[in-house]
Amino acid sequence: MKLRIGSSAPSALAVALPVPLGGALPHEAVPAAKAAHFNGEVGTCCEARTGGRLLLLLGIGPSPHNATYRAAGAMAVARLSHVKRIALDATGLFAPQAAAFALGAVQRGWTPPQNRRNTDPDAPKLTHIDLISEIPGIEAAWGDAEAVWHGSELARDLVALPSDVVTPDGFIERLEPLRKAGVSITVLKRRDLEREGLGALLAVGQGSAHRPRLVLLQWEGAMEAKPVVFVGKGVTFDTGGICIKPADKMWEMRADMAGAAACAGAMLSLALRRSPAPVCAVLALAENAVGAESYRPGDVLTSFSGKTIEVIDTDAEGRLVLADALAWAVRRLRPAAVIDLATLTGSIVVALGHEMAGLFGNDPALAAHVAAAGEVVGELVWRMPMAAGYREALASDIADLMNCARGKGQPDACQAAAFLGEFVGETPWVHLDIAGVESHETADDAQAAGATGFGVRLLDRLVAARFEDPHRA
Amino acid sequence: MLDIGFAKSALPKSGALVLLLEEGEPLAGDLLTAIDEATAGAVLRALAAAEFKGRAGTHCTILAPGAGLSRVIAIGIGKPDSLTQRTAEEAGGNVVPLLAKETHAAIAAGGLSSELAAAVAMGAALRSYRFDRYRTKEKAEDKPRLTKLVLLAAQPVKAREAWVPLKATVEGVFFSRDLVSEPANILTPAEMADRCMALEKLGVKVDVLGPKEMNKLGFGALMGVAMGSANEPRMVVMHWNGLSGGKKPSKAAAPPLAFIGKGVTFDTGGISIKPAAGMEDMKWDMAGAGAVCGLMATLAGRKAKVDVVGLVGLVENMPSGTAQRPGDVVTSLSGQTIEVLNTDAEGRLVLADVIHYCQEQFNPRFMIDLATLTGAIIVALGHEYAGLFSNDDALSAQIASVAEETGEKTWRMPLADAYDRGLKSDIADMKNIACRYGGAITAAQFIQRFVKDGKPWVHLDIAGMAWSSKDTATTPKGATAFGVRLLDRLVSAHYETT
Repeated sequence: MKLRIGSSAPSALAVALPVPLGGALPHEAVPAAKAAHFNGEVGTCCEARTGGRLLLLLGIGPSPHNATYRAAGAMAVARLSHVKRIALDATGLFAPQAAAFALGAVQRGWTPPQNRRNTDPDAPKLTHIDLISEIPGIEAAWGDAEAVWHGSELARDLVALPSDVVTPDGFIERLEPLRKAGVSITVLKRRDLEREGLGALLAVGQGSAHRPRLVLLQWEGAMEAKPVVFVGKGVTFDTGGICIKPADKMWEMRADMAGAAACAGAMLSLALRRSPAPVCAVLALAENAVGAESYRPGDVLTSFSGKTIEVIDTDAEGRLVLADALAWAVRRLRPAAVIDLATLTGSIVVALGHEMAGLFGNDPALAAHVAAAGEVVGELVWRMPMAAGYREALASDIADLMNCARGKGQPDACQAAAFLGEFVGETPWVHLDIAGVESHETADDAQAAGATGFGVRLLDRLVAARFEDPHRA
Repeated sequence: MLDIGFAKSALPKSGALVLLLEEGEPLAGDLLTAIDEATAGAVLRALAAAEFKGRAGTHCTILAPGAGLSRVIAIGIGKPDSLTQRTAEEAGGNVVPLLAKETHAAIAAGGLSSELAAAVAMGAALRSYRFDRYRTKEKAEDKPRLTKLVLLAAQPVKAREAWVPLKATVEGVFFSRDLVSEPANILTPAEMADRCMALEKLGVKVDVLGPKEMNKLGFGALMGVAMGSANEPRMVVMHWNGLSGGKKPSKAAAPPLAFIGKGVTFDTGGISIKPAAGMEDMKWDMAGAGAVCGLMATLAGRKAKVDVVGLVGLVENMPSGTAQRPGDVVTSLSGQTIEVLNTDAEGRLVLADVIHYCQEQFNPRFMIDLATLTGAIIVALGHEYAGLFSNDDALSAQIASVAEETGEKTWRMPLADAYDRGLKSDIADMKNIACRYGGAITAAQFIQRFVKDGKPWVHLDIAGMAWSSKDTATTPKGATAFGVRLLDRLVSAHYETT
């Protein structure tokens, strides 16, 4: 997808026009609007032919805000994707509104990388978008939005690509855009991991021919401050290991690295828009495979923190790789705050469905900032509890703790968060369980089908709102 | 119930003595010095040998210490002045199993305020609950023997005054626990309605509607659930008119508070039958209704200055030749039609009609419903919190704050249009289930469709809280009566005129 900003769009075959509730319409569109009972109500749209061009009227209601324009942009692309080139008429919109309109459009226009050479005649044809705007400041506003867009595309591509391509090393190869944008990339391989003692990460990855990696991404920023650190679960494929998953829908487990992908995407976004804030990401990459060397239920692992972990279920592996990544990040990077993202539990999907991610943490202020950032960008999170009882359920007879409680029907999302909490200590920390929101099942007006890139925009927004002020407390 | 008494703090002559000891060096607590002297130093020597430090939750038993006592039990209550109402209850509760072999005991609470001394008594009383109606062969020596517990207080008269309303709460809790513990062959809807009638003795006005009345009124959703069972449904409406001295409130009186309970006396799942394993638990699928009954008993028992209505929808969900089928469409009392896709999502059907009826009849100030509604809430929150769903932030915050005080904890869960959309039906106004993800939320969304716009409402999904598989400080294994104390405290803290 290409986006160009200009005062007109002569070669666009279709134009999308936001219309407020009861707002005036181009007179050639009036008959069509009348026939369709279109009056600008939010979430509605109406197509009209004007001369040779298709005009799509997008209802934005009585009091549109940026999210309304973002949704309108998405709807424009959803409805006009059969056209090669469209224009978004942002005449009269302020720069942030116009940028939101455009961002909504390009994000809805994402297609999985596998589909981009699709010969299916029904496949989306849209490749170019013209944003019609002459408002001062539009270039800068779009510049920030574009950075998020590119970050989000990186994350979504990583999630969508199959696990034979996105192995731990395959994941790392695809981080080249980050290096180009000025992010330094350090990769800890097997020897390094052994020397550092990341026993939990090594154990999860030991059953696979594709060896585990710990990746450190560093963006220096321009401020003297402790870094914000993102930590991502990057299980490039999760068979469940010896506690193997049912075959049905196992293919979805290629998305089990969506947390790491979101962290990488957010880093790209921050670097592209030259964020002044120092930010790092630690990605725990491993394939949880079934093999002769696989770790077993009952194994006791010594994690980087020194704590020992009894493995009850090898399919509760995300928390193991995160345990090491979190403890390593806290000790080596001395962060101001840590935010981890992980497709961690089925329990959170039972709890919150596909509409919100679960938010856990040890710091109410940071949790509130994360929730607020999610609200602004439309990546919703819901605060979930950390109670002593969840930790008590992990008491082990043989080690410091178990990786999950025994028995079915456990509140596993809460227990997993309690588990992770053991590895962050006092550092302000938020854990986002993004299982259920990392992919969108069927395409609709708001979202494309497939990878959502959930977390990229939230993290970018969090840093912008909370960590770029040099005078912050 | 355990006979609880209050007396001036002095060493008892016989039985067991419980010391509440603060953490620190040296140990300190009411009667510690007196009993140590009376036993020639045996008590402090024993505590030192046991390395007892007074940490909260720890205890030490000294058998036959002398001075005529059968045992002295030291209970740690933590750092000085750290005791709250709730931790005092827990200390009292933790004493009870240690006294199983004693017939009478005294707790030295002279160092506590009268309110905290009463709280210790409440904790002990709550823990002493036992449902042994059907244990006909239990040997006397296997039964707990404790019958009399005396709180030795600095101001016994004031402590006893503080205990009076707490005793009513304990009685309400026990009433609720009895209902929830009863097996489903005993506790049919009709039997439960009869037991509610017993509340009339306390001044509660009780109305019972049977199937004829409910059919006539149009309780299509509730009756659909009930029609598979030979045990007829009931709806019980309980009025506690505490502001008008038990009389019917005048037309000008402020509207009452309303509490509504799901009372599925047994839930087989109906035609969408449940797996056999663990199905016996479904006798407590009426725990929401049980909590409402217990709450009404409590409010009446302590003569709460408040007008309250409690409504419970009582049905049995059975598969049979007359049972509701998946695919049936029922017309609820509200007029909205419901496609029943799963007959095991029956609690919301019962609540739909009772909630609508409640609003039409009473236009209450707020409605709070309690229901053992979904398995999803257990996967979400386990046995730590009930799920709280609400359209009202202020009421939710009030509940959350009293939840912490009573130890009956709640956690707010979301409501949003995106979840509601999952209930769309091709044939009726709504389906009774959405996809299995977010199941507790979509259940709450379903119920919300029967709550009128602007009516403050809270739904508590207590599926993970109604029954405990292990003893806790103030709740023996089994029925918890979750909700009784929470809502009693909500009323007393925020809605009672003094």
